Amino acid sequence: MVVTKNSKKRKLQGQGQVQSSAATTSATSVKGKDEENSALPSTVQSDNMEPVAKMGRWVNKERVLVFSSRGIGSRERHLMRDLRALMPHSKPDVKMHKSEKLLEINEIAEMKNCNKVLFFESKKNQDLYLWASNSPAGPSVKFLVENVHTMDELKLTGNCLRGSRPVLSFDSSFDELPHFQLLKELFTQIFSTPHNHPKSQPFIDNVYTFSINDNRIWFRNYQIVEETGSLTEIGPRFVLNPFKIFEGSFGGPTLWHNPHYTSPNVYRRAMRKALAQKYAIRHHNKEKNEERKTTLGPTYKKDVTHDVFVTIDSSQID
Amino acid sequence: MIIDTEAMAIMQEQVESSAESESEEELLDSDEELQKAFAKGQLQSGTYKEITKKETFINDVSGLEAKLKSISKTDIAWLERLDTTISTAEEIENEEENNVHDDFKRELKFYRQAEQSVKEAIPKLHRLKIPTKRPEDYFAQMVKSDGHMKLVREKLLSKSLATERSEKARKMRELKKMGKKVQVEVLKSRQKDKREMLEQVKKYRKGQQDKLDFLEGDKTTSKSTDARKGKQNPKDIRSNKRREWKNKKFGFGGQKKRSKGNTKDSYNDSRDYSASKNSKAPKKGVSKGPKAKNARPGKSKRQSMKARKK
Repeated sequence: MVVTKNSKKRKLQGQGQVQSSAATTSATSVKGKDEENSALPSTVQSDNMEPVAKMGRWVNKERVLVFSSRGIGSRERHLMRDLRALMPHSKPDVKMHKSEKLLEINEIAEMKNCNKVLFFESKKNQDLYLWASNSPAGPSVKFLVENVHTMDELKLTGNCLRGSRPVLSFDSSFDELPHFQLLKELFTQIFSTPHNHPKSQPFIDNVYTFSINDNRIWFRNYQIVEETGSLTEIGPRFVLNPFKIFEGSFGGPTLWHNPHYTSPNVYRRAMRKALAQKYAIRHHNKEKNEERKTTLGPTYKKDVTHDVFVTIDSSQID
Repeated sequence: MIIDTEAMAIMQEQVESSAESESEEELLDSDEELQKAFAKGQLQSGTYKEITKKETFINDVSGLEAKLKSISKTDIAWLERLDTTISTAEEIENEEENNVHDDFKRELKFYRQAEQSVKEAIPKLHRLKIPTKRPEDYFAQMVKSDGHMKLVREKLLSKSLATERSEKARKMRELKKMGKKVQVEVLKSRQKDKREMLEQVKKYRKGQQDKLDFLEGDKTTSKSTDARKGKQNPKDIRSNKRREWKNKKFGFGGQKKRSKGNTKDSYNDSRDYSASKNSKAPKKGVSKGPKAKNARPGKSKRQSMKARKK
């Protein structure tokens, strides 16, 4: 019930916006007529180029729901915020409670009119997973997000228009394997801003790079400084370690399972174990070494003719 | 618990030894019995090994392809997607070693990929008559705020300043090092001059040399003394032993009474200064122990001793 209410509210708001915008345009036109006689025009056109053409038809109605689960860290939250800032076709939502089932995300997406979902799932307050999904029909992919650097970091000096459409750059190794092909298609549909999207800018000044390295997908975002190919990095940076591809959206049978994937829990356990056994191993080695020294003779092969080289003193002859 | 059948033989022995009283038929045991024995704790560790189930990784190629077909949008133009695929095969061949942990190489690879795709995409967009560069006076909200960009600029500036400062400091340090070297060399040369002078004095005392030229030109090298040699008549310098002795005994003319006091020159003259005599370094072969025992105690100690006596 609540849900439907919300959706109604949202619809109403949308209508309101349309009306209000229409009102403002009419107001400006009236103003323009009034001020035709005055000295300064109400709008100033760019000198060096033709006026920017009006937005054409917005055909590709791709919308991406970008949100997270509760218990997400600040860095992860900033990463999510960066993605929202970079994608004008994204829609936010409130954090989802952990007790809710992932399948409910499909309903949320439907409510929000979204057909793609980027869902940041936080586990144990330290591991970040990213779900990328094609909402009602699937497929969906679960990634482990590693090496996050947000846009707020001061070493990334680039900047771009908010809502400018990016060029997507894929590594050629995306075409080699079927699961990477599927990921490539999913990424292009999620990250490319539709042409003539109302919130987008008419210029193209950044590139997203997806590159496969070490069985992971590395994401970078560059500003196009000069069109001959001079770039500066904008951020964010992150690495996606794919875990599984599911047939459905947030569920369904598994299509692919990454054999190179180790869960962060397993990794941490191994690290802790190695650290814990450091003393035991050293102690054991020491004991073994002592034992070997006492029981065994020389551990190297002795050459029979080796005695030839030993110098004998006169005292030894006697 | 699953128990490996390879370790069966060893396990059988184990069971036999632990339960000899049982009849032989019972000992021809199956996996089941072994498992029972394990549950009872009759099997010791080292005689069996656990089998971990090998994980199978799903790779449903046909399913993946079907899914790809179902989601790919064929009716949508490239302009909607703006995707480029860049071949990095050549680079991979060139750099055989894994560059994941080499930050510079890795980032360079990504940069090149992005560069390549820009070079590919921008002309394509121009052909489609899509504006790519925004005019100078087109102002719109940026992804990063002005405040943030100001911080970035400040950071860059402070970084460049820091590097400049460190460079300067490094140069200064080097200069200092050079200066020290020069100083050391000057000191060495002085020491050398002094040594030579002393040697000549020694020779003179022993009578090997009867010229005192080296005293005249202070710190002059042997070359300058040679030059003076040519001018003087060697006959004139012949010493009169008797006269010398008399001079030594009675003095040689003039006033003597102020000659024994220190003068500026004598004060500055360090010829008879012996470093070995005056150094505080422990002398070789001489133990300091007993001497220190007999040494006179310090003033405060002496006074306190006196006070105690009273």
